[in-house]
Amino acid sequence: MNLFGMIDQSGSAMQAERMRAEVVAANMANAETTRTPNGTPYRRQHVVFAAGNGDSSFAEQFGQAGQLGQAFPTQQTALNLQSVAGDLSGSGTVAPGVHIAAVVQDSAPPLKRYDPSHPDADAEGYVSYPDINPLTEMVDLMGATRAYGLNGSAVQAEKSMIASALEIGK
Amino acid sequence: MEIATRLSNEIARYLDLNTREIQLTAANMANIDTPGYRAVGMDFEAEMRQAMAGVDGNDTLAAPQVFQVDGLIVRPDGNDVSMDRESLNLAQAQLKFKVGAALLKSQYSETMNAIHADAK
Repeated sequence: MNLFGMIDQSGSAMQAERMRAEVVAANMANAETTRTPNGTPYRRQHVVFAAGNGDSSFAEQFGQAGQLGQAFPTQQTALNLQSVAGDLSGSGTVAPGVHIAAVVQDSAPPLKRYDPSHPDADAEGYVSYPDINPLTEMVDLMGATRAYGLNGSAVQAEKSMIASALEIGK
Repeated sequence: MEIATRLSNEIARYLDLNTREIQLTAANMANIDTPGYRAVGMDFEAEMRQAMAGVDGNDTLAAPQVFQVDGLIVRPDGNDVSMDRESLNLAQAQLKFKVGAALLKSQYSETMNAIHADAK
């Protein structure tokens, strides 16, 4: 019986959701950034979730999540999840939480606005802005908050179970 | 003389099964945003029957059958975990666990009363 393993699982989910919220915050903060250290305008980032605690091979992770903007599972992902779920059956050693497989940059072309007086304007006078929609980011943030709260309540439940198990011996 | 009666063994198995159920629920909750993830669950009644049948033989609890839950709505990203269903399961399993823990505690307090009987 691995009661503390459950807290690890829920903790991994809270960590992943918090990272997702951080990425959303970075996107919103950089919505008007035309110049990054490598010279190009900022590109919208988003995270890819994967089940498991990140122990699978690096090549496998990149095979699933390396495509820009890909959020739909490949056959490999489905099989990976199946084996992870199968390990849940009481072995007690596997704690299949969730982890962020990759933070990928959006491949969408940047928004161009005409402004010849801007220092970052190109030869035709267009400035490239990142294509970030604040509504999309806010909805993503709400989803991350909701999932964070859900897993927080799971941690509370697990804690109270451990406490009531301790009560048996008193 | 037995400290652990048949009833306390049965209650211990009930607690074990509840723990497994909560583990599955926590795994589902953790993967609520994972694309392609299917919710997993177990048949509590069937596992309970099996566990009660084997309680006399003193064998360890067999690993419960974990399967993917059907009948859930699959969202566009392939995920079918329902937040409401998991929250409800969590609350129920938590309460069941507390019931089991309280029953087990009353079993042990009976034994402790018997030990302390001469002090009264």
